[in-house]
Amino acid sequence: MAWPVAGVVLQVFVVVAGAPVLIALMRQVRARLEGRVGAGLSQPWRDLRKQLAKEPMAPDGSTVLFTTAPVVVLSSALLIAATAPFVSTTSPLDGMADLYAVVALLLVGSTALALAGLDTGSAFGGMGSSRTLTVAALAEPTLLVAGFALSVRVGSSNLASLVEHAQRAPSTIFSPATLLAAVALWIVVVAETGRLPVDNPATHLELTMIHEATILEYAGRDLAVVELGSAIRLVILLGLWGNLFLPWGVATTSTPGLLALGAIVFAAKVAVLGSVLAASEVLMAKWRLFRVPELLAGSFLFGVLAVSSSFFLA
Amino acid sequence: MSSALYVQLLYLVCGGLLLSAVLMLWRRQLSAIIGLLTVQGVLLAGLAALLGTRDGGVELYAVAVGVLLLKAGVLPAVLRRVLADSGAVRETQPLVNVPASLLAAALLTLLAYAVSRPLVDLDPSPTTHAVPVGMVMVLLGFFVLVTRRRALSQVAGFLLLDNGIAATAFLVTAGVPLVVELAVSMDLLLVVLVLQVLTARLQATFGVTDIDELRELRD
Amino acid sequence: MTLVGAGLLLVSCAAGLALLMAMAPSARTRGFVSGALTCLVGLGGVLAGSAALLGSTWSATATHLLPLSQGELTVDRLSGLFVFLVGAVALATGVYSMGYPQAPRHVEGMVQPAHGTTSRTAQAALPLFAAAMVLVPTAGNVTTFLVLWELMALVSLALVLTEHRSRPEVGQAGIWYAAMTHAGLVAILLALVILSTEAGSESFAEIRDTAPALSSGTQSLVFVLSFVGFGSKAGLVPLHVWLPRAHPEAPSYVSALMSAAMVNLGLYGVLRVGFDLLGGGPRWWWLLVLGVGALSALYGVLQAMAATDLKRLLAYSTTENLGLIFVGVGAAGTFAATGQRTLAGLLMLAAVLHTVNHAAFKTLLFMGAGAVLRSTHLRDLDAMGGLARRMPFTTAFVGIGALAASGLPPGNGFVSEWLLLQGLIHSLPVSGTPDVAVAIVMPLAVGAVALTAGLGVATFVKAFGVGFLARPRSAEAAAAAEVPGTMRVGMAAAAVACGLLALAPLAPVRALESVLGVMPSIGDRRPVQGAVELRLSGITGSMSPLLIALGLAGGAVLATVVVRGLGSGRPRRTALVWGCGGTRLSPRMQYTATAYAEPLTRVFDDVLRPEHDVDVTHYQESRYLVESVRYRQRVSDRLETRLYPPLLAAANRWGQMARRLQDGSVHRYLAYGLVGLLLVLMALGVTA
Repeated sequence: MAWPVAGVVLQVFVVVAGAPVLIALMRQVRARLEGRVGAGLSQPWRDLRKQLAKEPMAPDGSTVLFTTAPVVVLSSALLIAATAPFVSTTSPLDGMADLYAVVALLLVGSTALALAGLDTGSAFGGMGSSRTLTVAALAEPTLLVAGFALSVRVGSSNLASLVEHAQRAPSTIFSPATLLAAVALWIVVVAETGRLPVDNPATHLELTMIHEATILEYAGRDLAVVELGSAIRLVILLGLWGNLFLPWGVATTSTPGLLALGAIVFAAKVAVLGSVLAASEVLMAKWRLFRVPELLAGSFLFGVLAVSSSFFLA
Repeated sequence: MSSALYVQLLYLVCGGLLLSAVLMLWRRQLSAIIGLLTVQGVLLAGLAALLGTRDGGVELYAVAVGVLLLKAGVLPAVLRRVLADSGAVRETQPLVNVPASLLAAALLTLLAYAVSRPLVDLDPSPTTHAVPVGMVMVLLGFFVLVTRRRALSQVAGFLLLDNGIAATAFLVTAGVPLVVELAVSMDLLLVVLVLQVLTARLQATFGVTDIDELRELRD
Repeated sequence: MTLVGAGLLLVSCAAGLALLMAMAPSARTRGFVSGALTCLVGLGGVLAGSAALLGSTWSATATHLLPLSQGELTVDRLSGLFVFLVGAVALATGVYSMGYPQAPRHVEGMVQPAHGTTSRTAQAALPLFAAAMVLVPTAGNVTTFLVLWELMALVSLALVLTEHRSRPEVGQAGIWYAAMTHAGLVAILLALVILSTEAGSESFAEIRDTAPALSSGTQSLVFVLSFVGFGSKAGLVPLHVWLPRAHPEAPSYVSALMSAAMVNLGLYGVLRVGFDLLGGGPRWWWLLVLGVGALSALYGVLQAMAATDLKRLLAYSTTENLGLIFVGVGAAGTFAATGQRTLAGLLMLAAVLHTVNHAAFKTLLFMGAGAVLRSTHLRDLDAMGGLARRMPFTTAFVGIGALAASGLPPGNGFVSEWLLLQGLIHSLPVSGTPDVAVAIVMPLAVGAVALTAGLGVATFVKAFGVGFLARPRSAEAAAAAEVPGTMRVGMAAAAVACGLLALAPLAPVRALESVLGVMPSIGDRRPVQGAVELRLSGITGSMSPLLIALGLAGGAVLATVVVRGLGSGRPRRTALVWGCGGTRLSPRMQYTATAYAEPLTRVFDDVLRPEHDVDVTHYQESRYLVESVRYRQRVSDRLETRLYPPLLAAANRWGQMARRLQDGSVHRYLAYGLVGLLLVLMALGVTA
C-alpha cells in the first residue's frame, strides 16, 4: 500500500531528528571520558534554535553562491537520507540508491561548501576549502575501490542489493574482503566527516581547521542549516557503514512492525558507532595535514587488497 | 598519311632530336646552345603534329602549337635576352672536359636503351621503338645540368631534360593530357624567369655568372 | 538526395564561399560572414550526422578529384556520430566568433592588446577548418582520409597562428603544433599505407573484408602505428605536449573547436581502424589503450590541478577526459576480444557518451575562458576574481560548464562517468576466479578513474571559485565588462546542450547505441534502458539523473521554505570579512589558485616537481626589515622536459652531421640527383 512511502518518511524523520542527538551523544561520550559533565543531549537542538533566531551575515563581495551553498548541502544530505536503505531495503526510491550516486552526492555537498569558502574572500575560507577538497579528492579512490570490493560478489552496486546480500549470507561479512573494506571505509568515514585525526571539530585555532574554516563566515540561519547538514552527513556515513557491515535489523518488507524495528535498530547502530568514534577521538590527537594523505593512501591500499582478496581468496 | 611515310618522318624527327641533344653537349658557344634549343622545340612540335595525324583528334595539334610557341618561341627569346644582358659569349671550362663528356654521353645512351627495353617490349610499334631517344635526352639533359658552370648552360640543360620528358611522354602515351602539359609549361616558364633574375643578380654581385661563386654563401 | 548528402553539400558550399568571402573589403563584414559560414557548416554537419545516426547511410565517389586515386566518401553510423559532434561544436563557436574580434584599445591609461583577428587568412580559415573536420569522418578510402586529415592540420595551424602579431609565444606554439601534428601524420600514413598494401585495396569497404586474412603481426603493427598517430591527435601522453602549448595561444573559438571537435577525430581514427577495419583484434591491444588512457587521465588532471593559466588548465583537462574515454574504449575492446559483449557494449557506450558530454562542456568552458580573456585580458587565475558581479552571464555559463566537467551530479559528466564505473566494476565475475590480467587491471583502472574524478572536482572548484567568485585580485579584473550578445548566445547554446545531456541523457543514448552496431566485435546492443531511470540491461544497476536533479532542487526549495518559516525573518546583513579582529583584509589576501592547489601539489610532488622562487626585498636602510616578498611557483610539464629534449638533441646531432653533405656547391647538389636517378635506373634494369 503506502507503507513503502511511509518507510521513506520515517527514515527521513529519524535521520533529521536524530542527527543533532547523535552529535550531542558523541560530545557527551567525549566529555564523560575527559572527566567533564557535558552539555546534555538536547544542546544541539538548543543551539539550532538560537542560531535560527540570529541575524544571518554575508561577507562584502560574496555572491549568491555563498547564501545558497548551505541549502545545497542540506538538500543533498536529505536526498541521500531519503533514498539510502537505512530503515528498509524495499523503499520505492531504491532504483536511485546506487553506491556511486550516493558518493557523488556527498561530494556535491562538500563542493558546495568549498565554493562558498572561496566566495567569502577571506584567506580562512580559501584555506578550509582547499583542504576540504584535498581530503575529498584523496578519499575518492578508496571509496570507489572499496565499493568495487563490496559489489563484486553481489553483481551490483545498488545499496539495497548490497545490504540484502549481506543479510542473506552473513558469512560473507567475515570474509577478508569485507573486513578489509570495512577498515578502509571506516578511515574514509573519519576523513569525510571531519573527525580526529583528520580534523578537529572542536578546535578554535583557525590554522588547524578544515571544516570550521570553510564555514567561518556563516551566521544565523545559514549556520543552522550548515550545522544540521553536517550532522545529517555524519548520520548518513555512519548509517551506511553500519548497514553495509552490520546489516541485521534492516527491514526487508514494508510492514509497519518491521519498519518500526528497522528504525529503532538503525538509531541504535548509529548511536553505538558514534560513541565508538567519539571514544577513539579521545585517545588521539589531530595529525598534521600532510600526514593525512598517508592515512588515505593506506586506506586505498586496504581497498585494493579487499578487491583482490574478494576473488583470489574466495 | 601512309604508314611508311609516317615511320620515316618519325625516325627523322627523333634522329634530329638526338643529334641536337648531343650537339648541346659538344658546343661551347652559348648562342649556339640557344639555337639548338630552338631547333629542338620545332622538332618536338613536329613530333606532336605527326602523332596527331596518326591518331586523329585536335588535342595533339593544340599541344603542338603550344609547344612551338613556348619551346621554340618564348623560352629561347628569354634566354637570348639573358645572354645579351650578361655579356658572356661562351662557356668557360666545364667541370668535365669535352672528350670525357662525350664518352659519358655514350654510356648514358647505352643505359637509356637498356632501361627502355621493357617499355618497348610491352607494345612493339614504330612509335615505341623511338622511346629510347626520349630517355637519352633526359639523361643528357641532366648531365648538362650537373656539369656546366654558367647559369645559362644549366638552364639549357634543364630545358633539354624537360624536352626529353615531353618527347618520351609523346612517344609512349601519344601525348599527355592538356592539363598536365599546361602545368608543366607553367613550371618551366617560372623556372626560366627565376633563373633570369638569378643570373642578373650573379652578374651584378660577382661580375660573372659562374654558379660555383655561390659557394661563398656557405657558413 | 538524402538528408546526409544534403548536409554534406551544405558543408562544402559553405567552405567554398569562405574562400570567396576573403575578398570582401570590410573586416567587420568578413568577421560576421566567417562566423555565419561556420554556423552553416555546423548546421550541415548536424543535419548529416543526425540523419546518419538515425540509420540512413550514404556514399559518393569522385573519380577525377585526386591524383592516383579517387575521392570516396562513405557515411555510416560511426562517422555520423562524429560528423554530428563536430557540426554541433562548429555551430556554437560560429556564433561565438562573430563577436570575438576586438581591436587594441587604450582604457584608463592601460593598453589592451588585440583579440581575435581581422586577417583574411584566419577568417577564411575558420569555416574551412570546420568543414575539413566535418568531412574527415566521411572519408571512405585511404587517400581521401589522408588528404582531408592533412587539410585539417594545415588549416588549424593557420588558425593557431592567428594572433602571432600580438604575442611572440604564438610562433613557438605554432612550431610545436606543426611538428607534432605532422609526426602523428607520419605514423597514420605508415599505418594506413601498410594496411592498404597488404589488403590490396585502399577503399575502406574492401580493407574491411580482407583484413581478417592479414597476419597478426601486420595487424598489430598497423594498430600500434595508428594508435600512436591518432593518440597524439587525441592528446594522450606522452604525445600530448602540443595541447597545453597550442590551446592557450590560439583564440578561444579556435581552442574550442580544437579541444571539443578535433581531438575527437583521434578517437574516431582508433575506433575506425581498431574496431571497424581490423575487426577487434587481440586483447593486448586494448589493454595497452586502457593503460595509456589511465595514465593520460591521471597526468592530465594532475597538471590541470596545478595549472594557474586558465586555458592551460582547460587544455590539460582535455587530456584527462580523453584519457577517461580511452579507458572506456580499452576496457570495451578487452571484453569484446574475450566475447563478453554486454560489458563491451556498456563500456563503449560510456566512452562515446563521455565524448559527447566532453564536447559540450569543453566548448562551453573555452568560450567562457575566451570571454574572460577578452574582457580582462587575463589568463592567469591568480589575478582574476570577482567576475561574478561584473560578468554575470559568463559566470553562470562557466559555472554550468565547471559542474559538468567535474563529474558531479546533476551535471552531464556524471552520467557518463557512472556508466564507465558500472562497466568496470562488473568486469569481475560473481563467482569463480577471473582472468589474471583483468583481475589486476580493473581495480587499478577503477582507482585511476576515481582519483581522476576527485582531482577533477578540486581543479574545477579552483578554476571557478578563484576565477569568478569573491573579490577581484587585480585592476584588470575589477574593470571587466560583460561580453557582446553573439558570444553570449554561443555560450548559451552550449550550456543548453549540457543541460539536456544532464537531465535527459536517454535521447542521445538511443542514438549512440546504434553506433555500437558498426563494431562487429560488439554488435547490436542496448546496454541502457528506461527513460527517467537509467537501467542497465544484462547486469544489475540503475541510477536516475533526472530524479537526482529534481530531488536536489526540491530539497533545496523545501529547506529554504522551512528555514525561512522557522527563522527569525531578519534580513541578511553584509559586513566586512573577519580579519582576526585587526586587519582589514585586502582582496590580494585571498587565496590564489597557486595557494589552492598547493596541498595537492605537495602530495603529488614527485610527479609534478614544482619549482619555487622566493624573492625577498629588504629595506635599504636595514637588512632586518622586509619590504616585500615575492613567491613564484612554476609547474612545467615534466614529460616534456624529460622526454623531448633528448630526442630533439639527437635530431640536432643528425642534422649537424648531415651538414657535411651541404658544402655550397650547386653542382654537387645536382650531381646527387643525377647519381640517384642513375642508380634507380640501373636497379630497374637489373631487376626488370
